[in-house]
Amino acid sequence: MTSTLKARPGLSRASGREVRRFDDVRELLPSVENPTPLVRLNRLVPPSAELYLKLEWLNPFGSVKDRAAAAMLEGLRRDGLAPDDLVEASSGNTAIALAALANLEGVKVTITIPDGVPEEKKTLLRMLGAEVWETPDDLCPVDLPKDGAIALARSLAESPGSKFIWPDQYSNPDNVRAHYETTGPEIWRQTEGKVKAFLAGLGTTGTITGVGRFLKERDPSIQVIAIEPEPGHRLPGLKSFKEANEPAIFDRSVIDQVVVVSDLDAYEMTKRLFREEAVMAGPSTGAVVHAAIDLGVEGPAVAISADSGLKYASFFAEVLGDEGQPTP
Amino acid sequence: MTQTSAIPGVAERPAPDATLDTSGLLCPLPVYKASLALKELTAGQVLELVTTDPGSLADIPALARQRGDTLLDFEDRSTSQIFWIEKGARS
Repeated sequence: MTSTLKARPGLSRASGREVRRFDDVRELLPSVENPTPLVRLNRLVPPSAELYLKLEWLNPFGSVKDRAAAAMLEGLRRDGLAPDDLVEASSGNTAIALAALANLEGVKVTITIPDGVPEEKKTLLRMLGAEVWETPDDLCPVDLPKDGAIALARSLAESPGSKFIWPDQYSNPDNVRAHYETTGPEIWRQTEGKVKAFLAGLGTTGTITGVGRFLKERDPSIQVIAIEPEPGHRLPGLKSFKEANEPAIFDRSVIDQVVVVSDLDAYEMTKRLFREEAVMAGPSTGAVVHAAIDLGVEGPAVAISADSGLKYASFFAEVLGDEGQPTP
Repeated sequence: MTQTSAIPGVAERPAPDATLDTSGLLCPLPVYKASLALKELTAGQVLELVTTDPGSLADIPALARQRGDTLLDFEDRSTSQIFWIEKGARS
């Protein structure tokens, strides 16, 4: 008997950026052909400033760290390492990207995370199936500087009989390579080679080192400006090198200037980004934009917006206090 | 069977309510795991902690001070250390 049902044609094999249809979430990862957007700020700065934010939170796992995580996993495969278990120290964004990507390869992920990271990030990690080891920065009470999460990841990876491979984003050249091969070329192309200044926060320093190196090779006059928080800050993802070790991958030679920004200024600017530019960025973006405006950088300038504000709702609630709530 | 304490003036070694062996683990794992183990105890209970990382000799007393616990006793053997920590009322 012949079926009267028509064969379901399904979608054509063709997929791609034209129709925004993809066969795998990893195809959303950024590249020169698929860059994260540059969005110009028009209200916080005068038009002549020509300051663009590179919205890294539009990456598939929500932050600039999608790039480092993908590159480090690629590096492990390149080096013939096929881990069953990864451990990484992260304030959340690298961890989230690593856990998401590792899941697709059947790799289990354990994250050592500093306390003081918003609950949103820790919950997202657990949603991804990661094991989350929260630790104070001063975990070793007599062993300063404050890098408890890194020390814990190291001890998990290096204790005898350990099952863990530790990508170590603070020392892994693939972290820098990710930005040298993608973020830097994207910015160069998106600004038609006219970029005059680049700004990014200091954390693992992969972004500033990789992008800075790429841009300086193209045009040594491009100003590369690093943003550093104050000691004891509450800006996850950034690090003050007055209290933390400088990462092994850090290359100061590509940086023209380091600007220290307070939590107060960073959160105030984040609020202004939400309200005046409709840019719902995370607090490190507020720090970077504050520095750009304070310095009056010459445009076209590109500032990294590392992540969105959605993962910091609990922090913002503290900053806002009663603001926005009706009074009797 | 009770044993004589290493600390002068302390007659007997405390009887532990829980034991944690971190042999082979490098610092700060013993500190981290000791913190987790102490969280499971109630005030006044004693954790017996075995470590092999020499850094523990400085880290564990500092951990106890930081948390508000009391280091009741310790024994430094050639390749390992044993600590007896009493959980504090406010830790």
